[in-house]
Amino acid sequence: MKEILLKGTNICKAFPENGTETQILQSVNVEVYKGDFTIIMGASGAGKSTLLYALSGMDSITGGEITYKNQKISSFSEKQMATLRAKEFGFVFQQTHLASNLTLLENVTVAGYVSKTASPKEIQERASRLLRQMRAEKAAGRLPSQVSGGEAQRAAIARAMIGNPGLLFADEPTGALNKTNSEEVLNLLSGLNQNGQSILMVTHDAKAAIRGNRILYLEDGQILDELTLPVFKETEAKEREETVTAWLSSLQW
Amino acid sequence: MGNKVIFKANIKRHRGALIGVFILVFLACGALGTVLNVWLNSGRYVHGELTRAGFGSLTAWVSGLTDARSLANEMENLPEVSSVEIQNLIFSNYTVDGQESDSEGQLILYHSEEIRYRFFTDDLHGYQEQPEAISPGEIYVSPSLVSMMGLTLGDEISFLIARSGRDKVFTVAGFYEDPFMGSSMIGMKGFLIGEEDFQEIRQVIQSSGIDALAREGAMLHIFAADPDTMTSSNLNQTINDNTSLSSYVEFIHSENAIAGFMLILQNAFAAMLMAFVAVLLFVVVIVLGYSISSGIEADYSNMGMLKTIGFTGGQLRSIWLAQYLTGILGGMAVGLAAATPLSHLVSNTTLTTTGIYIPAHLPIGWCLLAFGILLGLLMGFIWLKTRPIRDIAPMKAIRGDIGAAGKIKVSRTPIWGKHLQLGIALRQLTTGKRRYAGACMVAVLLVFIASMIGRMDSWLGPDGKGMMDAFNPADHDIGVQVFGELPMEEVEDAIRSYTDITDDYLLAMPNVAVNGMDYTANVITEPERFHILEGRTCLEDNEIVLTEFVAANLGVGIGDTVAVTGDSGSGEYIVSGIYSCANDMGDNVGMSREGYLKIGQDAPQLWCHHYFLKDTTQKEAIRLALENAYGGDIHIHENTWPGLFGIISAMQALMVFLYVMVAIFILVVTVLTGSKLLAAEQRDMGIYKALGFTNRSLRLSFSLRFAMASLLGSAIGLILANFLTDKIVSAAMKLAGISNFASAPSVVSVLLPALTVTLLFAGFAFLTAGRLKRIDVTILISE
Ligand SMILES: Nc1ncnc2c1ncn2[C@@H]1O[C@H](COP(=O)(O)OP(=O)(O)O)[C@@H](O)[C@H]1O
Ligand SMILES: [Mg+2]
Repeated sequence: MKEILLKGTNICKAFPENGTETQILQSVNVEVYKGDFTIIMGASGAGKSTLLYALSGMDSITGGEITYKNQKISSFSEKQMATLRAKEFGFVFQQTHLASNLTLLENVTVAGYVSKTASPKEIQERASRLLRQMRAEKAAGRLPSQVSGGEAQRAAIARAMIGNPGLLFADEPTGALNKTNSEEVLNLLSGLNQNGQSILMVTHDAKAAIRGNRILYLEDGQILDELTLPVFKETEAKEREETVTAWLSSLQW
Repeated sequence: MGNKVIFKANIKRHRGALIGVFILVFLACGALGTVLNVWLNSGRYVHGELTRAGFGSLTAWVSGLTDARSLANEMENLPEVSSVEIQNLIFSNYTVDGQESDSEGQLILYHSEEIRYRFFTDDLHGYQEQPEAISPGEIYVSPSLVSMMGLTLGDEISFLIARSGRDKVFTVAGFYEDPFMGSSMIGMKGFLIGEEDFQEIRQVIQSSGIDALAREGAMLHIFAADPDTMTSSNLNQTINDNTSLSSYVEFIHSENAIAGFMLILQNAFAAMLMAFVAVLLFVVVIVLGYSISSGIEADYSNMGMLKTIGFTGGQLRSIWLAQYLTGILGGMAVGLAAATPLSHLVSNTTLTTTGIYIPAHLPIGWCLLAFGILLGLLMGFIWLKTRPIRDIAPMKAIRGDIGAAGKIKVSRTPIWGKHLQLGIALRQLTTGKRRYAGACMVAVLLVFIASMIGRMDSWLGPDGKGMMDAFNPADHDIGVQVFGELPMEEVEDAIRSYTDITDDYLLAMPNVAVNGMDYTANVITEPERFHILEGRTCLEDNEIVLTEFVAANLGVGIGDTVAVTGDSGSGEYIVSGIYSCANDMGDNVGMSREGYLKIGQDAPQLWCHHYFLKDTTQKEAIRLALENAYGGDIHIHENTWPGLFGIISAMQALMVFLYVMVAIFILVVTVLTGSKLLAAEQRDMGIYKALGFTNRSLRLSFSLRFAMASLLGSAIGLILANFLTDKIVSAAMKLAGISNFASAPSVVSVLLPALTVTLLFAGFAFLTAGRLKRIDVTILISE
């Protein structure tokens, strides 16, 4: 039996719109296990991002409850939430969202300083190491506006990893990248997972989804189905893609 | 039609900025209208009243003559004089509640048929009918006695008519407007009394003979035959040369000099406020400039779109001009409307120091002229600042390329692990340089003006010592003048029973004529005590020192020779130096005792003994003790003068007003620039939040940025004030006869404005950043 890391119970999320409310998440129940590479799939507009932000506490929810490591984080104060983000959660966005006036290295170190998980000196060493690991060390001293999309996204992963997070969230991290860069980013994420990093990733791309060992399918604000796979191996990529595509078409994807 | 729709939409969109501009323009224009009102109206009113009330081109106060009419006739016979009017009066010292007057009072016989004076209502908020006659025992006084001696309606004033207790006590029945001596800047004061009392006092004086303390006299209002060609000093000289006036005259002043005395306060404060308003207007321009460029940045792609559907750059600029004009014109209109009640307020609150009720009807013509010029300048500025709209290339803008406006240049300031907040703040600050420059410049201006006024205030000091030193020819703690036969040793022993006398010298202030012009001479036993500005003091008995103003009037300089006439002869003196003494608006000269005695008579009561005390806090106790012991035989004065309290309290009111305005301005500027900055930095804020920064730390970091920007500005403002205050203020002080202004900055007066401005910026920024709570990480959610 796998250890439950993050758990959402009856999560509801509605956005106010022209006086009425639009219900985007309708009582979603979801569990994320430690060590897993969990994927959330679904059509564009299905509510994947909304669910990810709700689960990570980045956005408020209108109903339900979220626990992380058996702590009820949905009723955390702003300050507790900030600490959680700094120490336990890492986040990778589709648009990279690096602070525009900090260099790639500074983006990583600042995140590390905030996490207070090590001394400033150790953070600096760890940041350089991570950037080397993410193969972004050549651009480390440059500003986000001066680097390629791939370099920026690899630095963003380094930034998310600097505090040794318990769970790494990623919202379509390859959505804005070309094929080569996408592959590289996905390889890095797989590598992290193989070293024990728990990951929760949103994607609508089957090629990205095959990296996961558990895939959830979201539609109309609910989890319709899930697919469990063995741990990803480069050599089995082809077969996995076929399995996932077949599963998706059974869900009228 | 299209223009109108865009205009309306823009007004809505830039509501915040326009409201900010409105408030700033309103405050600046309200203050401007009030200053113009006070300045123009008080000048016009004082001159008008002097003419209406029948004060001549020259007015001479005379005493010791039996028949004023024959002296008047003597003068009227001169072709240069058209007529001379006489007002009979009695010179007398007086006390209010045990407090002795600084100068002699003038009891003036009131004739209701002359319609010379206007009377105030008892609450001092307007005028009332003049009384038919003044009843025995009643007296009308100038409202400035309220601030000078704490007088109120129904109080008693006692005039020392003759020795051995022949005092005459009056009850204050009301206040009248004295356009002549009413200001608290003038020591001598006029009192209106009725016929019976006046005759009674004359009788007492005449029957007391040598024991009389009060003296009969008159004011002679001398009208020039041709005031346009005849200067008052020429007229004065002609009269002195051809009549016996100089044997009777106590002092003589031209209408302009009197108007000058009456208007010192109003002019000084109008000048200071005007400087402040100028600074506020600069701030308005800075805020306007900032608001326009950040507004254009935010609307860049929008305007690109409008251009693709056919709007020209000129049209768009006109719309922007129009939208800012709504804020500016609105502010001006409300400011203009507010100026009238504000002027009323100023009139009411200054009446007890200026002695006149400054009319509060706005000088509309001048205001419109000033506002029109201002409007023209602002419109020109807006037109210039909206130039970038012309260059927006439609397609590029829509694609989100906001051209030069959006390019940021990042300075690599250090980011430390230990002081993360500071590092981040510094980086954001240096990246958003242009955006924070507004706050910085506003801080420069506000700190500059606040620090300048603070330096003046500390020069003045809590008891006005700075001002007194400027007025006195030489420093002292207390001055004692005895009449009668009182031995000085006895007085000094009385003083020593309180504290030691550390030093002393003698000073007399007789009248002399220098090259035919009347001046007060400060005659001193130790001429090295004069405040010398240039050259050296009058060490030899044939030397004299002049103030800058006298030197300029007479057209002489150091080394020149002047003819000086005293009451026993005349002689030639060499000007050995220029000294500073603002008494009589600088119309005075300095001589040594030996020098003066060659042309003037000596008498013990001529001399005032000036003492320096070991413990200066005993001054008041010594004064009271001496007055109780010797009464009318002694006159004690401290190094102060009642009008000073008018200046000090006005200065304090100005400081309060200044700091309130500064606070409001900073609030508006911070909210305006702050919300723009937050909007521009909101993505970064979201990122920092996602990384685990708390709202509080982001808010702190934001206010830290404002603090740093304004601290830099404050520092520049302080440096400017340090170099410019003395230059600017000296130039202004010269108008009041004070030629030795050198600010004495205390730590408080230097640091307070900078600290206040920086803290206000940081505090308001922290409040503005309260909206960070609403900036959610969700702004990062990709579409
Ligand atoms: N802040 C918001 N206000 C209103 N509606 C929103 C907001 N954010 C997302 N939505 C709506 O919620 C739905 C799901 O969005 P999202 O979770 O981003 O979908 P996706 O599955 O593509 O990530 C969409 O219809 C979107 O329009
Ligand atoms: Mg999405």
